[in-house]
Amino acid sequence: MLTVCPYFHVHQPYRVKKYRVFDIGEDTEYFNDASGTDLDNRYIVEKVAEKSYRPTNKVLKELLDKHPEFRFNLSFSGTVLDQFEAYAPDVLESFQELVATGRVEILADTYHHSLAFFYSVPEFKRQVQKHERRIKQLFGVKPRVFRNTELSYRNDLAKWCEDNGYLGIMSEGWEKYLGWRSPNYLYQPPGCSKIKVLLKNYKLSDDIAFRFGNKEWKDWPLSADTYADWINSHHGNGQTVNLFMDYESFGEHQWEDTGIFEFLKVVPEMIMRHPDTSFKTATETVAAYESAGEYDVPDILTWADTERDLTAWIGNDIQRDAIKAAYSMEEDVMKTRKRDLIETWRKLQTSDHFYYMCTKWSNDGDVHAYFSPYKSPYDAYITYMNALSDLKLRVAHVLKDKETVLAAAEQKIEKTKETKPEPSDQVDIPSKEDVEDVPASPPTEPDPGFFKNAWDRLKKIFPVVSPERKST
Amino acid sequence: MKVLTFSWEYPPAKNGGLGVACFGLTRELLAHGVAVTLVLPKTQETRGDARILFADTERLVKMGENADLLFGPYNQASTMIESIIGYDATGRPIYQARTILEEAHRFAHQAALIAKMEDFDVIHAHDWTSYLAGVAAKISSGKQLVLHVHATSFDQAASDNVDPSIFKIEKEAFELADKVVTVSNFTRDIVVNKHGIDPHKVEVVHNGCDAEEVRELVPTLVELKRQGKKIVLCHGRISIQKGVDYFVRAARLVVDVDPDVVFVISGWGDMITQVIEQVGAMGLSENVRFAGALWEEDRDRMYQSADLFVMPSVSEPFGLVPLEALQHGTSSIISKQSGVAEVLTHALKVDFWDVDEMANQILSALRYPVVREQMVTEGRLQLLGMTWKIAAQKVKHLYQHLVQYAVS
Repeated sequence: MLTVCPYFHVHQPYRVKKYRVFDIGEDTEYFNDASGTDLDNRYIVEKVAEKSYRPTNKVLKELLDKHPEFRFNLSFSGTVLDQFEAYAPDVLESFQELVATGRVEILADTYHHSLAFFYSVPEFKRQVQKHERRIKQLFGVKPRVFRNTELSYRNDLAKWCEDNGYLGIMSEGWEKYLGWRSPNYLYQPPGCSKIKVLLKNYKLSDDIAFRFGNKEWKDWPLSADTYADWINSHHGNGQTVNLFMDYESFGEHQWEDTGIFEFLKVVPEMIMRHPDTSFKTATETVAAYESAGEYDVPDILTWADTERDLTAWIGNDIQRDAIKAAYSMEEDVMKTRKRDLIETWRKLQTSDHFYYMCTKWSNDGDVHAYFSPYKSPYDAYITYMNALSDLKLRVAHVLKDKETVLAAAEQKIEKTKETKPEPSDQVDIPSKEDVEDVPASPPTEPDPGFFKNAWDRLKKIFPVVSPERKST
Repeated sequence: MKVLTFSWEYPPAKNGGLGVACFGLTRELLAHGVAVTLVLPKTQETRGDARILFADTERLVKMGENADLLFGPYNQASTMIESIIGYDATGRPIYQARTILEEAHRFAHQAALIAKMEDFDVIHAHDWTSYLAGVAAKISSGKQLVLHVHATSFDQAASDNVDPSIFKIEKEAFELADKVVTVSNFTRDIVVNKHGIDPHKVEVVHNGCDAEEVRELVPTLVELKRQGKKIVLCHGRISIQKGVDYFVRAARLVVDVDPDVVFVISGWGDMITQVIEQVGAMGLSENVRFAGALWEEDRDRMYQSADLFVMPSVSEPFGLVPLEALQHGTSSIISKQSGVAEVLTHALKVDFWDVDEMANQILSALRYPVVREQMVTEGRLQLLGMTWKIAAQKVKHLYQHLVQYAVS
């Protein structure tokens, strides 16, 4: 018995437009490039939808209809779901159709495709919860198996997932931690008793994701037949072959002219020609097999580069400076309780922003290995930092306004109640919308009832407030 | 392998990129077993181990002591220089003013004679003032000719409005040459597209940059720094080619946002009056300082004290200055219209005419010090790979190729 567990990761970031120092304090829109270039988020989503999402979903739906045993997993960032909704609703619908078959499982993820776990666990948790709500709303399912941004993984992340009720977690099957062992079994993280780790078979995964169209590759052109043989050769020395890759491998990384769609159309059938091979979703895989041993990963492991670490995201000084600057704002951003500010801050946590600042390639001259819509890593950094500076200003303004209002309110209560009422522009009411993502009492909030009490006091002073003024 | 090389400049005379490049290339060619005989137009002190001939010795006509070759090759062909044409009865030199064009022709005349006397396999001539000499040597010896383009008339004019007599020499010499070497793809494009030279004949050999032992010098502009001012430096000849006027326009936009930035313009040239007037007219007298022409240690002190270096050139065949600044620990914003932009990754790059973006980059780089630090750390590593050794190996290979296929 051998099962195959494919998982395709779907993601698009909100790229920051060309944002100059002069824009700070002037322009609060960071993601609205409309130039029809690679900084234009709508343009990219429409382009990739045409090249990858629409044709691939069509093939996947046909496969599900044709083969009742065919199963796979999808993971979505919240940022790609939001962009589908806005720019390509038909793509979102086609994904919903796939999930409605009951044979496509959705994995848990961070909403903003962030590295938050390594910088702020409370923020990470809020993003995972937000993601879960969004998946529930769009697909009506609750994810049970977790995958983290860039397949980043560490023992303590597995522990967190176990403590939060997940049955499985995905990771890279890397020799450094596997030793002589095979990635084609389930493993258990140290200190955990229930959760199991599914390990990516990077060789078989990368044969499709990276090498498929490479004419220099010794196995080019790869036929579905050969590939199925490679998978079936694991009978007897494995239980599950986990094929993890970017969804955009189909049609975007590997173009249509490589024959990738023809390959996809027939490969499940070829694999299942072996009577003892079938497909399982992640949850089914976790339920079917026992752990074969411990997978101990004390340092961050990812699916990227030959180092399998985060150096493509936080490997140089500008990357570390930028990500530190973003997370150092957490307390202030959350204090504003402003939905738009919090959401903007989170969009700026998406790992792609830091990837664009990567300079690793400059040493080996391999410029094309790291795609970026910016002219250079330094342009990416400057653009990002300028946008972040503007957000910081906006956050500071809101906090200052809140202080002013509160101070004024306190004064007036102390003085007298005969004061003439003034227009209440400054007042920001934390509506349910604003605080939806914010836990009732975040640890950083000294006094949860602070604003509410102030508001109650204000209402006593100014009984009439026009509803339009409630939000600014 | 023996090569007869013609150049107009050579260190230690204070001069621009041409002399520095000839020196670096000659030194490494010698190290790779190429016997270089270097011919210079005027008797001068020289550096290094190359065998040197002075064309004015050969013809017993010396250029005047005051002859200022400093900006020679880069001026108009009609620029006058003083030459000693002979000596009177009392032994005093007789001077006559000649144009650079005339001198270039005289250099060529001597080159033809030298080429008849010397033993060599291939001829290599640097920049337009030596092209005629190279061509003359080729005609008189029948040997293969390499012309090395460090700058073209289009760079000096910073437009298509070129000096017609220089353009004529360039075009005719390129057509006669067996190979044309340019210091960048940027310059190769000019030679191919503007001079109409067969692309197969034009090769790119990027300049190198000598890794120098940089010692920490006594800081300059201490008082400004003490006041918390940030220093942005522009260093080079002040001419239309170098784009200093765009730098001043960007300065205006920067100062509107951050009045604590001081712009230092170091250098001299024919555009200096215009730039000084521009600074006054734009109300920037408080924020722009003119440092005059700086050399050697004074220049290096300025590199070290500056927070940021800008090379706003309109048309820069290579552009060594950002690499020098980098060696002294200062990161750069460089014009995309430059050869160095092809080889230096760790710099901010801007179109010279996009003063908004130039100002944005200046302000951003000053605002976020980490970006400057990283461009220096990684840029210095990259510098280690840009050596004259690599350039010399390419040139030697070119010589071998030419000699091998020479029709004798």
